[in-house]
Amino acid sequence: MTPAKEFLENLKRTPQNLRESMLRNGKAPESDRERSQSTFHNFFLHLQSVRVHRHSLRFGYTFGLGLILTASFVVLTFTGILLMVYYKPGAELAYDSVKDIHFVVPAGRFIRNIHRWAAHLMVLAVFLHMARVFYTGSYKRPREFNWVVGLGLLVFTLGLSFTGYLLPWDQLAYWAITIGANIANSPREVTDAIGITVWFDPGRFQKQLLLGANYVGQEALIRFYVLHVAVLPLALTALMGVHFWRVRKDGGLSRDESLPAPPARIGDADVAVFAPNKTYGLMAVVRGRTPEVDRAPEGTVASWPNLMWAEMAAFLFTIAVTLVLGYFFDAPLKEMANPAIPENPAKAPWYFLGLQELVSYSAFMGGVGIPTIVLVGLGLIPYLDRDPRGVGVWFGGPAGRRTFWQSLAYGLLSVLALLVFTVNFGWLRAWFPAIPQIAIIVVNPATVIVALYAAWSLWVLRRTASIRLSAVALFTCFLAGFIVLTAMGSIFRGPNWHFYWWPSQWPTH
Amino acid sequence: MPDNPKRRDLLGLAALWSAVAAMGTALAGVMRLPKPAVLPGPLRIYKLGDPAQFAVGSATRMEAGGFYLFRGEEGFHAISSTCTHLGCVVALNEGEGFACPCHGSRFRTDGSVSAGPAPAALPWLEIALSPDGQLQVNAETQVPKGTRFRV
Amino acid sequence: MPADPARSYKWVTVVCSLVSLLFLIAAAVRENISADWRAHQADFRAILEAKSKDAAGRAAARRLPIEIRQVTVPALHAVDRCVSCHLGIDDPRMADQPNPHRTHPKRLLAIHRVEKFGCTVCHQGQGAALSFQEAKAEDYFWDYPLLPAALTEATCASCHNPRALPAGSADKLVLGMALFEQKGCNACHKLDGKGGPLGPALNNVGLKTKHQFVRANLKGSQTTWNWLAEHFRDPAGIVAGSLMPSPALSQPQVEALTIFMLSLRARDLPAEYLAPDKIDEQYARLHPPAPDGAALFHRYCAACHDTGLYSRWDKKFQRFVPGIRNAAFIRTEDDECLGENIREGRPGTRMPGWGPKAGGLSEAEVAALVAYLRTSAPAMPLPPAPAHGDAHRGGTLFFQECAGCHGVDGKGLIAPALANPVFQRAATDAFIAQTVRLGRENTPMPAFGRAGFSETDIGDLLAFIRGWQPPARSQQP
Repeated sequence: MTPAKEFLENLKRTPQNLRESMLRNGKAPESDRERSQSTFHNFFLHLQSVRVHRHSLRFGYTFGLGLILTASFVVLTFTGILLMVYYKPGAELAYDSVKDIHFVVPAGRFIRNIHRWAAHLMVLAVFLHMARVFYTGSYKRPREFNWVVGLGLLVFTLGLSFTGYLLPWDQLAYWAITIGANIANSPREVTDAIGITVWFDPGRFQKQLLLGANYVGQEALIRFYVLHVAVLPLALTALMGVHFWRVRKDGGLSRDESLPAPPARIGDADVAVFAPNKTYGLMAVVRGRTPEVDRAPEGTVASWPNLMWAEMAAFLFTIAVTLVLGYFFDAPLKEMANPAIPENPAKAPWYFLGLQELVSYSAFMGGVGIPTIVLVGLGLIPYLDRDPRGVGVWFGGPAGRRTFWQSLAYGLLSVLALLVFTVNFGWLRAWFPAIPQIAIIVVNPATVIVALYAAWSLWVLRRTASIRLSAVALFTCFLAGFIVLTAMGSIFRGPNWHFYWWPSQWPTH
Repeated sequence: MPDNPKRRDLLGLAALWSAVAAMGTALAGVMRLPKPAVLPGPLRIYKLGDPAQFAVGSATRMEAGGFYLFRGEEGFHAISSTCTHLGCVVALNEGEGFACPCHGSRFRTDGSVSAGPAPAALPWLEIALSPDGQLQVNAETQVPKGTRFRV
Repeated sequence: MPADPARSYKWVTVVCSLVSLLFLIAAAVRENISADWRAHQADFRAILEAKSKDAAGRAAARRLPIEIRQVTVPALHAVDRCVSCHLGIDDPRMADQPNPHRTHPKRLLAIHRVEKFGCTVCHQGQGAALSFQEAKAEDYFWDYPLLPAALTEATCASCHNPRALPAGSADKLVLGMALFEQKGCNACHKLDGKGGPLGPALNNVGLKTKHQFVRANLKGSQTTWNWLAEHFRDPAGIVAGSLMPSPALSQPQVEALTIFMLSLRARDLPAEYLAPDKIDEQYARLHPPAPDGAALFHRYCAACHDTGLYSRWDKKFQRFVPGIRNAAFIRTEDDECLGENIREGRPGTRMPGWGPKAGGLSEAEVAALVAYLRTSAPAMPLPPAPAHGDAHRGGTLFFQECAGCHGVDGKGLIAPALANPVFQRAATDAFIAQTVRLGRENTPMPAFGRAGFSETDIGDLLAFIRGWQPPARSQQP
């Protein structure tokens, strides 16, 4: 073959070679072996194991929450990049640019709505996902650290949400962030109360770190923008990678190992299983001349296509939900930020309104103290509860189910009773006007409810002698408190943070 | 072997192609976003006031509009001052024509290229009388060379 | 054959994909086909074609692109897209067309070119919006909704001195300005630093947003202008406990005052937008002409003192307001004392100070007011006061004869307070003694001299009254 002919021949075959080199397998897989190879050899697919346990595909176990989270993050990334094309992070420009996105940018209004709704969905899903993992005992050995990584993801998700809240630069954003920044400043409450602010002022440091000034202005906006579009998404992506990697390395999704395994499936047929009696990393099980032809590890099916269908479904479900919500409900955009006119009530996004209710008792306890206690407590759960039983079983069995319902009732009733009391009779300062601030920081409805919950959990621990049940009790109580306080802050608090049965009763102000 | 391979295939294919269709439509919608629906910046139609204020034989530079307005015996014409090569602003040298400072393009007084890399003549712009009686140059619209506007 | 493990997920995928597809198409239709402005531009194109006289005109009309249009005015930070629907706004041929195609009325755009001014600088509203409801922006999250046509005159004052405009341009605004002065609004409300402190200052009321008004009792439209109009009709009905009198205004007067209030807006406009008369007006504010006492009295005093000829009972204040142009009173007070009272007011009563540091009147204006009061009667040389006597006995006399009106503690009941620092400083002994002797005509203050008070009694009383505070200005005739 002459060089010229070879050149032409190669040129002719370039499209085919390009495709083969790009896909490595070169074509859609047809057999189990090829599917395994495709999963294993593809950059985007190698995140999945080649085979997946039937149990992991059960909707009733995971509700697809992890996938919905991933999908909403992908949606948020795409819509966020699109919004960045038109958004201008300047105090003078931001609001107008968001208005332009709303009014004239092609598909801009829809894309911004989707971005907002996907953010809501992601925060909701991250809470539900955490509850699911907790109640199925999936944080237990060897998955303890992934639980901690998950907590990090929760914090980053909330951080993304919080930083994104400022960017429209409207009244809602301005005042919610003013409050948020002053929560960062709230350690001052304590340092002032014990008189050491002059030497040690972590509150002011935190606030200035966040805002770059003592007020919410251009410096704060650009900081929030950088956090929102670069720092936090990168951190979240990195941590997500770790989270996924650990899910696989820690043995896939948790399941009840004591149950008999369902049959495995190869091709279209269920086959006998082999139970490996020694531990090894399984790269791939494929049809062909292998030691275990026509037999597969217990209860597994091929990831391609079964897991991929689950992922596809979760992804499209997320997209459909955000599209429908985004079509009907516009993302809020109030008047342009005006430091002279406080928004009343100035409410944070819904998932922070539970905290805002606590903050209305004590900024430090509600905004810093209790969230820290909760996060540290959550992080310690897998290290305190080392009992390996009950993994993969909802509530760990009937005893846990009972504890759950009792704790739910206790958690709801105690927080409701405390709120009814506080709304009707006020708190310490209403009775003793001269009471020192430190007393209110220590004893306020927020700390009382935490104490009540801790007492209940200790009582459960004493009664059942089970750390797991005690953890279920405490987690459930906090969940109940979170729900009630969030509802309180979202629905029942109106202008001047007064109690109203319904927003329609708010006075025009 | 599956009992009913056709039906399962159908469902899978339907799911696959409906997802592809939905994502394709979404992508098409998204691709429209970067193209601005309305161009920012002020309108490039310039009202220059009463035509009588421009003397016959005068050449006036309109910096904001990016053109020169000429009034001759036969009427008004406007020539863009944006170089057709790479967009620098040309200067009018009385009697010689236009010169571009960036890459040395030269244009005659009627806008045609006399030297340098410019690929085309400087465009003539549309002149009209606005409804309220002012001379109006539309810098967005070109007219053939030699078109004069008579008041 | 076992069931396909992914079957349910495939169904979910199908359903969700189809739902997504449906809503994507619906969103595309909503944005690209059914937008109002597209229909308006198509209508306009038809009108233009029908109005064209020749084939070239018709062809040009048909070529008119349907696209978003906007006026960008960087100097005013305005991007107004109103012209996306109001395409004929500066086209005189469209004068006979219905809105939104109609030409702007009164040929105003000939002197206010759309390209230079945009729309929102005069009309307010959300210029960025592309639908009428969002552009009008009432009950929408926008600080400055579209002004109703009847109130648009208000914004003329941003660049013009309304009184310098030709008749017929801003008549309602000029009427509002006149009413403001006639009705004595300044007695309680400060404007540009001048006025009483009882009501809120009115600077930049036109720039306030609805959130800055207490709207608890406001029915109907929640706009600032509706608040202002309803408030002019019934002040206490809108602001509970308001002391503002109901001024009994006709509907055109309410509208005129509302327009004047909306016109109070210091906008930071570039100088090229200001009319010369506006600059003259600002200059005149810094260099006022010689003050006119009568006008000042009307503007700043009459709301409480009325004509000032008689003392009057004020129901809202629950006390007598002295008749300060009463000849009997003016005769006994010297100019210095009058000026002191005007400058300092009467702390503890509703009478504020009007000096440069308080009410904002200049020394020249205070002097003009004193001169105006003096027209009632010349200052009379007062007979000297008796020497201070026995304060204890004076106290007994005071409780018997004076405390009923002036209060046991001298803080004033229906009669002026005597235990008042400004009174104590401004009033001479001679003035007090003469008032006790002869009383005050046209007021409830009787002439105690004729009722048997001896000069000793008056001396004792003086000693008691001066016990509240030592006199700042000792014995002077």
